[in-house]
Amino acid sequence: MKALAILGVALGVLAATALPAWAHKPSDAHVRLAVDGPTVTGELAVAIRDLDAALTLDGDGDGAITWRELDAAAPRIEAYAAGRLAFAADAQPCPLALDRAGVTELSDGAYWVLALSATCPHHPQALAITYRLLFDIDAQHRGLVHVEGQTLIVASGDPVVAAVGGTTSFGAFVVNGIWHIWQGLDHCLFLLCLILPAVFQRPGARWQAAESLRAVAREVFEIVTAFTLAHSITLVVSAIGLVSVPSRIIETAIALSVAAAALNNLVRAIDARWAVAFALGLLHGFGFSSVLIDLGLPSHELIGALLGFNLGVELGQAAIVIALLPVLYLIRRTLAYQALLWGGSGLAGLIAAFWSYQRWFA
Amino acid sequence: MGRQKLAVLAIGAVGLAGALTVAAFAAPERTRAGAAVRRPSDPAEIMARVPARDASELSARRALASAPDDVELAVGLAQAELRRARGSSDPRYLGRAQAILAPWWRLAAPPPDVLLLRATILQSLHDFRSSRADLDQLITLRPDDAQAHLTRAVVATVTGDYAAARASCAAVARLASAVIAATCVAPLDGLSGDADAAYRRLAQVLASTRAAPALRGWAETALAELAIQRGDAVGALAHLEAIVARDPDDAYARAALADVLIAGGRAAEASALLAGHEQIDSALVRRAIAEHATHGPDEARLIQAMRDRIAAAAERGDRIHLREEARFALEVEADPPRALRIARDNWAVQKELADARLFAAAAVAARDPGAAAALVAWARATGVHDAELDRWLGQLDGVR
Repeated sequence: MKALAILGVALGVLAATALPAWAHKPSDAHVRLAVDGPTVTGELAVAIRDLDAALTLDGDGDGAITWRELDAAAPRIEAYAAGRLAFAADAQPCPLALDRAGVTELSDGAYWVLALSATCPHHPQALAITYRLLFDIDAQHRGLVHVEGQTLIVASGDPVVAAVGGTTSFGAFVVNGIWHIWQGLDHCLFLLCLILPAVFQRPGARWQAAESLRAVAREVFEIVTAFTLAHSITLVVSAIGLVSVPSRIIETAIALSVAAAALNNLVRAIDARWAVAFALGLLHGFGFSSVLIDLGLPSHELIGALLGFNLGVELGQAAIVIALLPVLYLIRRTLAYQALLWGGSGLAGLIAAFWSYQRWFA
Repeated sequence: MGRQKLAVLAIGAVGLAGALTVAAFAAPERTRAGAAVRRPSDPAEIMARVPARDASELSARRALASAPDDVELAVGLAQAELRRARGSSDPRYLGRAQAILAPWWRLAAPPPDVLLLRATILQSLHDFRSSRADLDQLITLRPDDAQAHLTRAVVATVTGDYAAARASCAAVARLASAVIAATCVAPLDGLSGDADAAYRRLAQVLASTRAAPALRGWAETALAELAIQRGDAVGALAHLEAIVARDPDDAYARAALADVLIAGGRAAEASALLAGHEQIDSALVRRAIAEHATHGPDEARLIQAMRDRIAAAAERGDRIHLREEARFALEVEADPPRALRIARDNWAVQKELADARLFAAAAVAARDPGAAAALVAWARATGVHDAELDRWLGQLDGVR
């Protein structure tokens, strides 16, 4: 129900003309942290409107804060943040350095971003974060501390403690890798398209069912190895930040690669499917790395994480191949196999074409 | 390794080099939060808009900074923030008002002026129980405070304590103008079964007096709600259109108008009415519903924006207004069980007709009449009749 204030019905100056696209929401600030050995790096993002309430950035009082006013206030903002943000590793303080970075736009408006780095005496197990900005200005303000996949909500000036370092074990990355390949329908379909024809070979001039399981196993081994080699290369180069491709491009390219592999089964353009696996597998590695980056990768764990994740992907792949190959081998002379080869490849091609469209245009 | 294999490997290597080159140009930097950090080149670029502060407010601020325990100064500044919150529907100003009152916020018995402000802020934060406690305390201290009685009547009505609401409206009738008294009691009369008579009485009082614009808008909103209750969409539209034309910042009336349009199959008009007001959750959710109904060009963007807002609230350990969240789940996400859960949680907090309609609609959609037992009992106890609610309750019998 709408309420009325009888007293003070005259609303006074209401120049709070928000830029139309910005959400009206309670005030939050974000502290994003990465812990790398004894060093804590990251950023602090505070709404410019909130900084104005604390520090009166709108010097001329016209209701608009320009970049000039903001940039001029940078030292004051830094001093304000430096006095109200502190880190400690297992009760020992970590001296903090702040540096201006710029502005970023979040859903409720522009935020001032400060780059931060703190050096602890040792690699913390428990990182204590004391955040005291803005609570005296806005009682509904919250500081949101994002660190290693956790978000800690700070509602008062009391320190909060984040357990760090122990959350991303080698085993966890292996498990992540396995799940990623199993849940990534696109990677599964790609692999499937490559190994479907393996039991039906062309040693001479015409196609025939493979004579021995050994020959089939060898070909599949070649394919899987080539795929592994290729996606490992691109996984590494993109995970260490050497290369970064926008996910829209990569995701579309991965979908197209599935379509290409399926098409190759239908038109039989390239018999050397291990080569197809290698060339197109390069794309899939970029896709894997985005998962790894989303997991929040600390650089001192990079090697372990990469090894673990890659190992998980291989295990997941191997499981699929081992489950599938004997069945394919057994039915290789039947009509069912022909139906699966042609129908399955056709269907995979259609699905992949649809994905390509969706990922590029949606 | 055969010649063919070597050739293909070479092609692969060339392909990799090409991909790396393309990538290097396509994405020079990677940011952690997904949002890019930039440094504008134009010094005059406007980064944020804030309320323009007049000289008297600035000097009051400075005075309060040197004397933070000065109740009079704090009350004046907190009132200014509350007016901003009301005028812009921006919850940030509620937190600022609360912060100004920090020295008294946790006191069991703060000064009366602070009690009223604290009750108003708590009401806006939907903490009706604490708000009511403050208002009860204030009324024992100041039995003749019309604003205290009026706010208490509103809070009591929202929470379904109709006896207390009537008592407060009776006090308002003793202390304030006829229009205020009539508007106070009209929704209660409507809820107790006779919306027609309630509408006639309030319309008569309003026609016979010259009310200030803000007061007129409030009274006419009550009229519109009674019209909706009677199933008189034409009457409701006329009232709401008049209010919105007079005060474009009246987010409550605008949302109510959009609801009437959507219910009347005029979703495209509702969408146009709400365009440019999406910063307010109540407008965003209704515009998302309207665009969803018509598959308008902004459908996908608005649905995503609404999901983002729900997620952003969850990230700070909070929720958006449950009424809005339940409607979104019911009408856009097509998730009746979830909508029903939220609508039931919402009903535990507030019991206006809009909440009742939503609760009943969710129970029908989820085909779970048992979940709405509390609602059915409430409707029976009050004897309320509402065009839309009666329809849902009838269907609820059908899905049983």
